[in-house]
Amino acid sequence: MNLTMNVIEENEKSILNVSGEIDAYTAPKLKETLLPLTKEEEKTVEVNLENVNYMDSTGLGVFISALKSAKESNSKLTLVNLQDRVLRIFEITGLDDIIDIRAAIRGGNE
Amino acid sequence: MEPQSCVNIHKEWDIVGARQLGREMAKKLGFGTVDQARIATAVSELARNIYLYAEKGQICFEIIDNIEHRGLCMTAVDSGPGISDISQAMQDGYTTSGGLGAGLPGVKRLMDEFDINSEIGEGTRIKAIKWVR
Amino acid sequence: MEEVISKNASSYKRLLRSYMESQDEQALYGVEKVSKAFIKNNILPEEIVNLHIQAMADICKDLTDEYKHSMNFLLEAMIFYGLAMQEIPLLREEKHVLQSEISVAASMQQTLLGTSKPEIEGLDIGVISVPAHQMNGDYHHFVKGKDGSLGIAIADVIGKGIPAALCMSMIKYAMDSYPEESMSPKSILKNLNRVVERNVDQSMFITMCYAHYQPEESKLSFSSAGHEPGFYYNAETDTFKEFDTKGLVLGVSPDADYKEYELTINKNDMVILLTDGVTECRDGDRFIENEEVLDIIKKYSELPAQEMVENVYKHFERLQDFQLRDDFTLLVLRKNM
Repeated sequence: MNLTMNVIEENEKSILNVSGEIDAYTAPKLKETLLPLTKEEEKTVEVNLENVNYMDSTGLGVFISALKSAKESNSKLTLVNLQDRVLRIFEITGLDDIIDIRAAIRGGNE
Repeated sequence: MEPQSCVNIHKEWDIVGARQLGREMAKKLGFGTVDQARIATAVSELARNIYLYAEKGQICFEIIDNIEHRGLCMTAVDSGPGISDISQAMQDGYTTSGGLGAGLPGVKRLMDEFDINSEIGEGTRIKAIKWVR
Repeated sequence: MEEVISKNASSYKRLLRSYMESQDEQALYGVEKVSKAFIKNNILPEEIVNLHIQAMADICKDLTDEYKHSMNFLLEAMIFYGLAMQEIPLLREEKHVLQSEISVAASMQQTLLGTSKPEIEGLDIGVISVPAHQMNGDYHHFVKGKDGSLGIAIADVIGKGIPAALCMSMIKYAMDSYPEESMSPKSILKNLNRVVERNVDQSMFITMCYAHYQPEESKLSFSSAGHEPGFYYNAETDTFKEFDTKGLVLGVSPDADYKEYELTINKNDMVILLTDGVTECRDGDRFIENEEVLDIIKKYSELPAQEMVENVYKHFERLQDFQLRDDFTLLVLRKNM
C-alpha cells in the first residue's frame, strides 16, 4: 500500500489530505510534506486522515515532530476525520490530550 | 616512444573528439573491437570529468611500444579544483556511481593500469594504460 | 576469463548455427546453459556480443555492412552494463560486512539488555520477544525485589531497528539505577519520562507498561506510558478484560504524570502484557482484531505459561507467512496457587 497526499492552501490554513497507510516506509514521505507546512508562521495546519486506514507507531513520531514544530512557529496542528483504528493509537498513547483531534468519522472502512 | 597526440576538452562536443582519437589509436595498435569500445568509454569518462568539474583540460594519447609490451597510454590533465578525497572518489559502489559503475572506478576497471595525482586548487592528472593482449 | 570464453565460444557457435538452420528448442536450451556458465564466470555482456559477432561472421559469409555496423553499435551499448555488473559482487560483499556488523551488535544487545525470568512462588511466567529484523526495539525486564515482589517492565521504542535498539540500552541503564523496590510504577515512569525527554531525538519516543506484583497480597499495581493495553483474565468468570490504562508516551512532554492502577489476582487468573507487534499482526491485508489474539491465548491457556506464549507466537508467525512486520513481545503471568 502506498501513501498519497495533496495540499490545499486556504487563507490562513493549509489542509493536508492524506490517504493510504502510514508505516515505517511511508512515514518519511508524510514527514517531508507535513513538516514544512508547520514551519510557516501563525497558520492552521489541518491534516485530514479520513482515508488513512492504517497507521503504526512511526506515524505518531511524525505527528509529534509536527506538533512541536507548529508550536515553535505559533501555528496550530489539527487532525480531523480519523478512523477508529487510527484514533485508538492516539488514545492509547495519550497523544489525544496534547494534539487537537477531531474524529468526526466513526467506523470507517476496514 | 611515439609523440603524443592531444585533444583539448572545453565543450561537451570535445568529448566525442577525444573518444574518436582514442579509438583510432587503439585500432591502429591492434586492439580488438571489445577493447576499442572499452578504451573509448574510458576516454569518455575522463573527458566528461574534465568537462563537468574542471571546465578545461586536455587528454593526451601515447603509444607504448617496446620489447615487453605494446599499449595505449592516456593522460587526462586539468587545472580544476582538484579532488579533496581521492580514496572516496575511487571508492567503488553505489555512493559514487549511483549503481552505474561509472566514474573513476569505472575507468580503472576498463583499463589495465591507473594512476591519479591531484592537488587542491591546482588540478588533477590521471594516467591510464591498456595493454594489447 | 578468456579460457571460459574460448571454451564456450565453440559451443555457442554450434548452437547458433543449429538454431539458424532449424529454430529448434534444443539449441535454445543449450544456449541457456552456456549463458549460465558465462554468468557464473562474470563474463561481461560486451564479450558475449563480440562472441556473437565473430560466430556470425564464421557462419554466414555474406553478412551486410549494415548488419555488422549495427552489431558494433550494440557492443558499444553494452559497455556500461558490463561496468555496472562488475559492481554487483562488491556491493554484495559490502552488504555482507554490514550484516555481520549488525549481527555482532544484535548479540551485544542481547547481552546488554538480557533479563532472566525469575522464579516466584505461586506465579507461572511465560515470555517471548522476537525482533522483526536483527535488532529488537521491544524490551522487557524483570526485577525481583528482596521482599519477594516482582517488577516487570515491557516497552516498545517507536521506530525500528538499530536506532530503536540503541535507545533501549539507555532506558535499561536508567532503570538499573533506581531502587526499584521502593518505587511505585508511576514514579518509575515519571522518572524515565524525564530521561527520555532530555536525551532522545525529538521524533523518537517510547511506550512502556510497568507492573509491580506483591505475592503476599496477590496485588498487581501498574502504570502505562502510552503502551498497548494488556489484558486481565478472570478465571472464575472465564473472561478477558482490556486494561483501561491511559498515560502519555515517554519523551514527549517533560511534566507528564502517570496514573497507577491496582488489581487483585486470584488463582488461575492471568495478566497478559504485550507490544503492538502482537496486536498489529496482519493476515494478508486484513488486520487481526484483539479478540483473535485473546482467542489464541485462550486456546493455549491450558499449557504452562512459557509453552503458551511460544505457541501463540508460532500461530501469528505462521499467519504472517513467517515475516514479522514488527517486533513481537508477549508476556504472561498466571497465578497458580
